[in-house]
Amino acid sequence: MNSPLVNTTVAAATSHAVKQYGSGDGAIYALNDISVDFISGQFTAIMGPSGSGKSTLMHCIAGLDQLTSGSTLIDGVDLSTLNDKELTLMRRERIGFIFQAFNLVPTLSAEENIRLPLLLGNKSGDPEWIKKVIDTVGLGNRLAHRPSELSGGQQQRVAVARALATQPRIIFADEPTGNVDSTTGTEILTFMRRAVDELGQTIVMVTHDPVSAAFADRIIFLADGKIVDEMLEPTATKVLDRMKSLGS
Amino acid sequence: MFRIALKGVLARKARLFLTSIAVVLGTAFLSGTYIFSDTLTTTFDQLFADIYKNTDGYVRSSKVIDAGFGQEERQLIPISTIDLVRKIPGVSGAAGNIQAFARIIGKDGKPLGKDGIGPPTFGSSISNYKGELWKISKGVLPTKPDELAMDDVNAKKAKFQVGDSVKVVAAGGSRMFKLVGIARHGDVRSPGGATFALFDINTASEFLVKSGFIDSVLLQSDGTLSDEELAVKITAALPTDLDIETLTGAQITQETQDGVGQRLSFFATLLSVFSFIALGVGCFVIYNVFSITAAQRQRENALFRAIGASKRQITQAMLIEAIAVGIIGSVTGLFAGVLLAQGLSGVLRVTGIDLPPGSLVFAQHTVVTVLIVGMVVTVISAIMPALRAGKVPPLAAMRSTALDTAGSIRRRVMIAAAFAASGFVVLLAVIRGADNVLLGIAILLVFIAVLIAGPAVARPVSLFIGRPAARLRGITGAMARQNAARNPKRTSRTAAPVLIGVALVMAVTVLASTIRAEITDIFSKQFTGDFTINADDRFFGGFNPSLADDINALPGVQRASGFGVSIANVSLSGKSKSKFVTVIDPQTIDGIFDIGLIAISPKALTKEGIFISQKAADKNSLILGSTIAVELSDGSEHDLIVQGIYVRDQLVGGYTVSRQLFEGTVVSRFDAAIFVLKKDGVKDSDIRTSLTGVINKYGTGKLLSKSEYIKKQASQVNQLLGLIYGLLFLSVIIAIVGIIITLLLSVHERQREIGLMRAVGMTKSQVRTTVRWESVITSLLGAVMGILLGLGLGWVVIFSLRDQGIKRFTVPTTGTFVILILSFIIGVIAAAYPAHRATKVDLLAALAMT
Ligand SMILES: Nc1ncnc2c1ncn2[C@@H]1O[C@H](COP(=O)(O)OP(=O)(O)OP(=O)(O)O)[C@@H](O)[C@H]1O
Ligand SMILES: [Mg+2]
Repeated sequence: MNSPLVNTTVAAATSHAVKQYGSGDGAIYALNDISVDFISGQFTAIMGPSGSGKSTLMHCIAGLDQLTSGSTLIDGVDLSTLNDKELTLMRRERIGFIFQAFNLVPTLSAEENIRLPLLLGNKSGDPEWIKKVIDTVGLGNRLAHRPSELSGGQQQRVAVARALATQPRIIFADEPTGNVDSTTGTEILTFMRRAVDELGQTIVMVTHDPVSAAFADRIIFLADGKIVDEMLEPTATKVLDRMKSLGS
Repeated sequence: MFRIALKGVLARKARLFLTSIAVVLGTAFLSGTYIFSDTLTTTFDQLFADIYKNTDGYVRSSKVIDAGFGQEERQLIPISTIDLVRKIPGVSGAAGNIQAFARIIGKDGKPLGKDGIGPPTFGSSISNYKGELWKISKGVLPTKPDELAMDDVNAKKAKFQVGDSVKVVAAGGSRMFKLVGIARHGDVRSPGGATFALFDINTASEFLVKSGFIDSVLLQSDGTLSDEELAVKITAALPTDLDIETLTGAQITQETQDGVGQRLSFFATLLSVFSFIALGVGCFVIYNVFSITAAQRQRENALFRAIGASKRQITQAMLIEAIAVGIIGSVTGLFAGVLLAQGLSGVLRVTGIDLPPGSLVFAQHTVVTVLIVGMVVTVISAIMPALRAGKVPPLAAMRSTALDTAGSIRRRVMIAAAFAASGFVVLLAVIRGADNVLLGIAILLVFIAVLIAGPAVARPVSLFIGRPAARLRGITGAMARQNAARNPKRTSRTAAPVLIGVALVMAVTVLASTIRAEITDIFSKQFTGDFTINADDRFFGGFNPSLADDINALPGVQRASGFGVSIANVSLSGKSKSKFVTVIDPQTIDGIFDIGLIAISPKALTKEGIFISQKAADKNSLILGSTIAVELSDGSEHDLIVQGIYVRDQLVGGYTVSRQLFEGTVVSRFDAAIFVLKKDGVKDSDIRTSLTGVINKYGTGKLLSKSEYIKKQASQVNQLLGLIYGLLFLSVIIAIVGIIITLLLSVHERQREIGLMRAVGMTKSQVRTTVRWESVITSLLGAVMGILLGLGLGWVVIFSLRDQGIKRFTVPTTGTFVILILSFIIGVIAAAYPAHRATKVDLLAALAMT
């Protein structure tokens, strides 16, 4: 997965994406003509002030929500051509998700939660890969425990592992560290970074925190539903400066 | 707080609606039962008031034998009484009256009216007496021995016209008559759908009862005396040796109404017992819904507590909601009862009982009872959850999913064990000989034990039952299994209505299959003939005894023996008691029907003798040769010598006499069945043909082979079983609704989880599967526990019948299997709507919730 060829392919893309809420005078454009590519094997962060459309963008690319106009491609497939079942299978097999909170099914054990997408598809997945993922999570003997018996950080790590389990083309994470303390947050971000570097995954992450954003290869800045800036190989200081200059 | 509570109620209309449904179902049946029985009573009261509208006096015999169960046999009076009454000053007109069994045979050779259930078939008298209720609408009054009139409704139905020949079967045998008139009964064409063959009084007397005798005399006053004075005067004027009594029109109306009222009240009681069962089952649903919503509102209640609401205020708010639910539910249930009552009338109509038109009776006591019962039941069901809600600590609010904890499992099991143990102790006491009434207490204790233990066992049992689902359905099945087990209290409360319903169904099934086996056993032991001919399943009417004689004369028949039942007053230990006595033909019964006579042939029974059962002999210290005074229903008295004692009394009862005893009496006697033994070597088909020939000549009677006959006897239990199943059906519906409501609430509460799973790749059909299996597991949980409890209950009931001669215990394997399958189906059906709702969960909204 680390070959240079894959590195240049596009895992997901939008072109002229528009998401409109309401109509007429009161219309809100959560996304206002956004075109962006997410390259395979890259860790992208999306930043912007509250209400700028970060979550909306992510939900639309991931097939959780529909665009008003424009198109979204995942792995070369136009999501608007898929029906509910095909969309579900797409999410199950080619997309991974990490949410801010409540990522896990309370009745299933940590390991079952990690395997959930595979179990839903009645597949066993690649055993070596799963083992590698589980080892990387580092839960050790707590794999058989229910989510309620795990700490918030452990729960988020399980969520990341779940997102990785199917070897998806792309993983979306919406403020994955928003609910944990900074040490645990760093732990999770390091883990995600390793997934990109060592396992060759593609990750798109929404965050408010410059330090978190600095873990990414590339940052996209949104404001009022538009892309207003982009930064490669960021550092926390650079990000902070840019945020100041963007006036948010 | 009151305003806040009320606002809370109105803000959650869906929840209010769901909770109310449980109340509606429970109260609707109660209301429907009341409305229906009131309507029936009023209808019949009106009917009899109409029948005796023109009657000022009613003359009948004062001699009556009451056999209990509303059955009585009154002595006939001589036909000459009519003329005697007519001549009494103050009487302006009188007519003889007869109402007896008669069955009209249709043009297709089939008797009119339905077998078994359905309205009766009557033969009656008609005259030009001015108080006569029957009015000829076409043709003329029948006046000759070969003429008859018929009620309008059935004449139309059977396509009979004036001038047709009509065959009728009655006590006098079967006979052809000429249809000379069509009659209407007062304003209605035929009362209650019964069929009527109408004759002039002499023909009616000879053909329907006994030549020269009638049931009673109806009379009208000329107005010079009050009805009461006239009645006294008539009684005084008639010869005392006639033993007659005279009732006023009002008295006979009242008496008839009371008689029917009594029979109806049995029916009404039966209905209301089952409606209270349904209501009890409904209680669980209401209790469950309140518990779940209370748990779901924990956070909201904790917030109220944090900002200063007291425990009492929280509890009050919950109770206010319960009262709102109670009012809405009972009022709706009250009116839903009207629909149900209409449905019940519809069912009656299907069986052929046509109620005269009239609107449903919506009495005040119905309104009061239903509203009060509905309210009380709702508030009682809500008290526990309301108290629990008040106990919510102000800061224990940040739980993400509602969990009503199962409390201490050990304590629960211990309390349940204590109840169960005391139940078994009581049971043991009964087995050791204590009163059967205690069995009811034992059952109640065990039921309570099971319900208390429910939450403790719900988790392991659900996990066990859900195992195949997990294996079959992979992750969705496994998730369903976990969902069913995650909230044991909720699951067991949801399963409780199923449990109660199944336990009752199971117990009834056990009882029925045991009785069926018992009947089969008794009949195959006692009936040793080849064929039987049965009168239809009514308790009155039957074959003219000459049918048995005719069959005996057939060439292929070795012997045929008639069986009848009569009512008589039997003097036992100095007291006269009315008893059913079996009437046999001692000369033919041998080798056909074995009543287990001890060391004597049935032929020993003579006109002057009686056979009694061992039990009757022991109870009344009678021995062979003792004399018993017996008064037959015509008032004739006979001193009978005990000529034999028998042991098989299950079918013939305690007292058996010879048909010869009735020779020379005025008792109209029928055979209820005729048993036939064919000659050796005669083919079944040949004898069937010749028997059918004779039966057809008589018009009625069902020919059955021995095995058919035994099967039919055993299947009579099925009718009762069907009725009880039907009545329990409402409890089952409530159980289903309970599952639906619980699942809807669970789905609502797990929105986020469902959204998450949809996001990571669960298809809609997988969502549905998960909900469906959870429902199936819950339903099966109730069914499995209910079956176990029902088996126990069935055993207890059968045990309590041990004195009635039922000694076996048959486990209905097919029945158990069917119940399991049905519970499975119930689970699937109940899940349909909640599963649909689960697929409609808005992904983004679910994920946005925190
Ligand atoms: N269902 C909706 N109906 C109407 N407007 C909506 C809806 N969902 C989102 N919006 C609007 O769309 C815009 C973008 O919302 P979005 O959730 O994408 O913001 P965000 O960048 O993720 O903000 P935050 O950092 O606070 O999470 C906001 O102005 C929001 O009010
Ligand atoms: Mg957001």
